Amino acid sequence: MELLSLLIWLPIFGGALVIFIGNERADTARWLSVAISVLVFVMSLSLYTGFDSATHLMQFVEKASWISQFNINYHIGVDGISMPLIILTTFSTILVLIAGWEVIQKRTAHYMAAFLMMEGLIIGVFSSLDAILFYAFWEASLIPMLLIIGIWGGDNRVYAAVKFFLYTFLGSVFMLVSLIYMYNKGGSFSILDMHNLSLTAIEQAWIFWAFFMAFAVKVPMFPVHTWLPDAHVQAPTGGSVILAAIMLKMGGYGFFRFSLPITPDASLQFSDVVIALSLIAIVYIGFVALVQRDMKKLIAYSSISHMGFVTLGVFALFLAYRPDSAEGALLGLEGAMVQMISHGFISAAMFLVVGVLYDRLHSREISTYGGVINSMPKFTGFAVLFAMANAGLPGTSGFVGEFMVILAAVQANIWYAVLAATTLIVGAAYTLWMVKRVFWGPITNPAVETLNDINGREFFILATLALAVLIMGLYPQPVIEVMHASIDHLLNQALTSKL
Amino acid sequence: MENIYLTIALAPLVGAIIAGFFGGMLGRTATHTITILGVLVSTVLALYVFNHHVIEQGSIFNQNLYTWMQIGSLNVSVGFLVDNLTSVMLVVVSFVSLMVHIYTIGYMHDDDGYTKFFSYISLFTFSMFMLVMSNNFMQLFFGWEAVGLVSYLLIGFWHHKESAVEANLKAFLVNRVGDFGFLLGIGLVLAFSGSLDYMEVFSSLDKVVGQSLWGADLITVICLLLFVGAMGKSAQVPLHVWLPGSMEGPTPISALIHAATMVTAGIFMVSRMSPMFELSDVALTVVMVIGAITALFMGLLGIVQNDIKKVVAYSTLSQLGYMTVALGVSAYSVAIFHLMTHAFFKALLFLGAGSVIVAMHHEQDIRKMGGLRKKMPITYWTGLIGTLALIGFPGFAGFYSKDMIIEAVHFSSLPYAGWVYYAVVAGVFITAFYSFRMFFLVFHGESRIDHHTEKHLHESAPSITFPLIALAIPSAVIGYLTIDPMLFNGWLDNAITVDAAKHASMTELSKMFHGAAAMIPHAVYTVPFWMMVGGIAAAWIFSLYRTQWATWVQSKFQGINYILESLYGFDRFNEIVFVGGVKKLGNFLWKVSDAGLIDKMVVNGSARLIGFIGSVVRPIQTGYVYHYAFFMIFSLLIILTWALFAGDNPLLQIEF
Amino acid sequence: MMNTFQFDTASLLAALPEIFLLSSIVVILLLDLFLTKGFKQVTYYLTQASLFITGLLAFNLIGHPETIILGNSFVLDDMASVFKVFMMGAAMVAMVYSRHYLTQHSLFRGEYFVLVLLSILGMMVMVSGYSLLTLYLGLEILSLSLYTLIAIARKRSSAIEAALKYFVLGAIASGLLLYGMSMIYGISGSLNISDIAAFASDANLGSRETLIINFGLVFLVIGIAFKLGAVPFHMWVPDVYQGSPTSVTMFISTVPKIAAVAMLVRLLIDGLGSMHTYWSDLFMILALLSIALGSVVALMQTNIKRMLAYSTISHVGFIMLGFVTGVITGYGAAVFYILVYVLMSLAAFGVIILLNKKGFEADQISDYKGLSKSSPWFALMMLVVMLSMAGVPPFIGFYSKFFILQQVVSAGFITVAIIAVVFAVISAYYYLQIIKSMYFNDAEQELTIAAPMDMKLVLSINAVLILVVGLFPDFWMKLSISLF
Repeated sequence: MELLSLLIWLPIFGGALVIFIGNERADTARWLSVAISVLVFVMSLSLYTGFDSATHLMQFVEKASWISQFNINYHIGVDGISMPLIILTTFSTILVLIAGWEVIQKRTAHYMAAFLMMEGLIIGVFSSLDAILFYAFWEASLIPMLLIIGIWGGDNRVYAAVKFFLYTFLGSVFMLVSLIYMYNKGGSFSILDMHNLSLTAIEQAWIFWAFFMAFAVKVPMFPVHTWLPDAHVQAPTGGSVILAAIMLKMGGYGFFRFSLPITPDASLQFSDVVIALSLIAIVYIGFVALVQRDMKKLIAYSSISHMGFVTLGVFALFLAYRPDSAEGALLGLEGAMVQMISHGFISAAMFLVVGVLYDRLHSREISTYGGVINSMPKFTGFAVLFAMANAGLPGTSGFVGEFMVILAAVQANIWYAVLAATTLIVGAAYTLWMVKRVFWGPITNPAVETLNDINGREFFILATLALAVLIMGLYPQPVIEVMHASIDHLLNQALTSKL
Repeated sequence: MENIYLTIALAPLVGAIIAGFFGGMLGRTATHTITILGVLVSTVLALYVFNHHVIEQGSIFNQNLYTWMQIGSLNVSVGFLVDNLTSVMLVVVSFVSLMVHIYTIGYMHDDDGYTKFFSYISLFTFSMFMLVMSNNFMQLFFGWEAVGLVSYLLIGFWHHKESAVEANLKAFLVNRVGDFGFLLGIGLVLAFSGSLDYMEVFSSLDKVVGQSLWGADLITVICLLLFVGAMGKSAQVPLHVWLPGSMEGPTPISALIHAATMVTAGIFMVSRMSPMFELSDVALTVVMVIGAITALFMGLLGIVQNDIKKVVAYSTLSQLGYMTVALGVSAYSVAIFHLMTHAFFKALLFLGAGSVIVAMHHEQDIRKMGGLRKKMPITYWTGLIGTLALIGFPGFAGFYSKDMIIEAVHFSSLPYAGWVYYAVVAGVFITAFYSFRMFFLVFHGESRIDHHTEKHLHESAPSITFPLIALAIPSAVIGYLTIDPMLFNGWLDNAITVDAAKHASMTELSKMFHGAAAMIPHAVYTVPFWMMVGGIAAAWIFSLYRTQWATWVQSKFQGINYILESLYGFDRFNEIVFVGGVKKLGNFLWKVSDAGLIDKMVVNGSARLIGFIGSVVRPIQTGYVYHYAFFMIFSLLIILTWALFAGDNPLLQIEF
Repeated sequence: MMNTFQFDTASLLAALPEIFLLSSIVVILLLDLFLTKGFKQVTYYLTQASLFITGLLAFNLIGHPETIILGNSFVLDDMASVFKVFMMGAAMVAMVYSRHYLTQHSLFRGEYFVLVLLSILGMMVMVSGYSLLTLYLGLEILSLSLYTLIAIARKRSSAIEAALKYFVLGAIASGLLLYGMSMIYGISGSLNISDIAAFASDANLGSRETLIINFGLVFLVIGIAFKLGAVPFHMWVPDVYQGSPTSVTMFISTVPKIAAVAMLVRLLIDGLGSMHTYWSDLFMILALLSIALGSVVALMQTNIKRMLAYSTISHVGFIMLGFVTGVITGYGAAVFYILVYVLMSLAAFGVIILLNKKGFEADQISDYKGLSKSSPWFALMMLVVMLSMAGVPPFIGFYSKFFILQQVVSAGFITVAIIAVVFAVISAYYYLQIIKSMYFNDAEQELTIAAPMDMKLVLSINAVLILVVGLFPDFWMKLSISLF
């Protein structure tokens, strides 16, 4: 088995193994699953080390016939776009498993197993080069999340879980139809072949919107975002983390891998609509986040708003591109990528921060807290750092993506930039206002005084994320340069008409 | 050289990190020793750098340290640009910071957050260095926000005070409003020049001339956007509202951050961008007018304040206004000159105020003070020097810088320059008035202190008084020493561009300048001097000689008094329109649009619709077999009729 | 030469499975009379054995050159053999499940197995029938034994009611079918499928002939649609499913569907394939109606058997879409789907029966609350089955839907495909309801499993196949296409 296959199947079969260990032997399950996830992470690092950033071609490719009836192949590989996301996946899975260490007492083994399997499936999504393989992983990854929300979730978990599943399921079936359509036209389910498949304007329009349904729901974009707040609020901390850190990225990834290269002309034609929706997400959702009383809901909405930068960066490229200088377009695309990765860190961190508080007082209400710094100084330090990152403070990863996308937006159309830049104010407002009400100020609720500061495990998790956030904020170049070749290639694909 | 610059920047950072993470273990003494050493190193090296660049006219250092990001041909790096302007800033920042570090030992003596405080101010020093040494817009913005962060943390340092955490949130958000414009400005710079590096941008300025955006001249738009950033940091009307609130923080940082250094970042930035601002008279005019408004009206507010720190805060606002005016009339070097002198004497005043506050056991109301002169001689004399410097008493530092600003306005050919001239001249009177009002109320007259405090009232510890003295000296003499080289003998020439043809102020100034010494006697023939004297006199009358007149005036001009007391209603306006309005909007969007319209109606609505259809169709299943039979036959008939007419043309098929 | 019967063993060899099954039925029927109470199990094992051997014989005949015997009324081709093998397999699994149910509800009688075998014989005749008459004959053998089979729980009024409904409506349906056949016979002058095909494909066919064939078609289609349970001839399905003993429901919902598809192929494709354009539209409408109604009405159900009845209806809709395409691969897709459907349906009812206990039918969705705690393994099995039925990858149910959609799209019915997937999503909701009960809710009453080992084992294999075949569907897809 090649490296990529291992990355996909090791967690899945590992998860199965953990299930068989059973909830009775919880500790064995914990250690085993963490061990597996660490192993997978270490292995995934060799994707980075062994990566050749000079070429846009797929690397670590594996290909084997799967369903010859439709010449569907088990065809996987990575390029500069998928590789960072895979590493993000393996990275955050470790943290999630450790975060659930003692918090999850109910059916521990199943919990761990669900996350391991999801890790494998999501890596599969990012590395599939065959459309049906991609779709299979894409849909299958819903199952563990459905169970995670439904079994370990909050009071309203059933509603949230079912809503999440149906919402995303509905989104993706249209993608399936258009994939089939392209197969019937081009005779291949290989994504790379689809990139070169010539499509008329009408076909592109239909396919574009079919894809859009699938990806916009995942991202999520306004107005198909309403599943996210429910899912996030009800999901257990780990679920929210994976949901925000990785599953949302699947949508963004889809725009990179499918929409732009397969339907470039439609993307150009409808870029205004997408940009409009992204800007609504950034501004409108920002205001909505401002008035949330539930911390998780607030962060959920802020996720939507931040993901708006991804779609904005992607679709601003057509306007930002100048024949004499491609920088504007590149800033948009790479900014979107960076934003996805950085949001992976930050949203994960924010949800873990809320989780830490929730584990102690079992309340997500902002009003429950106040003056937490007095009893939890260390924790507050981290919380403020992540809050600042969420508000896009330079020096944290949160700044890089937004900075790049805004610079791109200026070149696309100054008004886009003006609207996007309001996040500087609104984003800071909702994040820091929450920080003020939760961490600063005098202690209002006696229970807060009794809080004890984060333990070693929590410290480890938050510190790791803090490092990630800072390093990426201070020196993003290593992350950016691995994607250059692929992004350049993607830009060419997006700009060469198929008509 | 590079290593030296690096050391200057990193020494405080190292100190900050050590103090921050290991302060607890190391204990107080070790912590403050380490951090102070760090800043001391920077100060010494800064002086060396100053000597190298300014005195010996060393060549400009402009180099990248590492590539932050490389996209296509666009390279964004972290790097240093060290020229004379930078050198001056380095000296000012490091010196004041050093003084504040030392001062803190005494001031924060019995505070729990002792080590944390040291780590913060060292961190601030580092960020400020990065800001002034930056050679590109990205890093400038970096430092810009970093100092904002530390300011946020330090204003809220006493986080148990609700007012403090209110203030730091406000400060951060108002600054963000400025950054909003700043970032867009940077974006436009990149858009037209394809680079973020200062030198490359300045060299490609010719590209931008004549281009327009939103119907306005592009360069004007850029400059105005950048200036919005400056307005945020340097607290120009209407973005000034955060600065008075920032006084919630401990006094040392009021001195360091909110008087001497951070708030002057905007002034520094505009001077840096002088090549761009020079291209747009509109922008310069706006800058000048905003500055004048700030200088005059914020000064007026200083008169009605009774909190010792608030008075100094408003005077800071007004002085920043002066600097901005100087920028507006293209007298950048004068602005920097005033920035420098102001840094010294304003830091001095704040630290002096702090010294008083400590002695008064954190009583800040000047109406409850008085007669402190005997009790705290050092604080008194240094305070006097500071005050004289502030009001521009001939010979003192402030005299030279402020006089030059007024003259520069006088010579300016921009529209409205005439009005601005009156404003800044009137400002002199006001400055003198509120400064001495405070000075008299605190140090002179009979004591209004309660006995408990009175008993153990004594001069502050040496760690407090030493910085006072150390700052008093430059406050007195620095103007006299440096005005000539700094303004007229090209200390700043390699950093600042002035289009002398269009903006003649500086050349005119140099024509009328006959040496620092000559200015002192000449002063008595100038309006500002008498304004100042008048101010002092008025202050003496109202606060010592006939205190009841003050109350009489208040009652006579209640309207004006009300306006001043309510700070022109800026805060109330923001409270109602922005805070309240935004919350209302947010709630509307959330409850009505998001939860109501989209989620309830569309999403769950469609689900309910399907359910409804189901419940409608379901009753067909009656369970009666004859219904079923009938239904079968009925459908059969329909199908037959259909088959009769349909023929063989396929439905719903798309040929492709 | 054609119309004379010849009884040489060579030709009878082709009907060997049927002959064997018939004889073993007789044996079992007689033997059962002499078995005392204690030895009733023998009947069961004999049934399984005879099913197994029949299957083996059928398997033997795979690849046997197509032969038509008994005066062109009985055909042996690969489709027939493969279908028979699958039917035997399904029947055996069904019997394993049934035994548990019957013992739990004290319905364990010899007649039960004899009737099952009889109905299977009927199905085999349908599968191999090559003249209108044999087909009808097979259909009647099947139907009559099914009616009785339902009524075997004679103490249950619901069962009696179900049997009666099924009987009455079934009678009407076969009446219509017979009428259609007579029309075809009347115009073409032959009962033989190949003759009919030859007549229908005749180029210079007058409009009068066309019209009559067209009408005949309508009746045939209705007859088939009834057997399949397609809207608007689905009315019997929910009532019968709910009313019958669960083991019978399981049987009805699985094996006979294969036979029905076989009959469909014989009549409409082998026979009137050339008239495809005339019946495809009709099929499409019925298919879409079935998918829509099946998905929407099932949302309302609280009884799992009834819910599965509606889910069957929507599955049938998908199967019929395969025939709409009018191409070999399309038919292949339909066949693949029916096989997959049988596999899933068996497993679904298997789990229901698994939970059955004396006096506990486990037919309410709420009965499944907390199953994931009391028996996580079988909860997982049910999860797999439900997701597979919902068409979620990587389970087999996805590939069957995918195959159909692919064919439908390539035939140019994109709108149809879109309608189908939208309803597939809607139907996902009620499959989730069961997952919800099993996983998200806590148990109300203690769920214990009394089922014997063999059942547990078979059920597990059955469900695991849903996943495994899902991971490697290629062979089965190719097989289903190769049948045409």
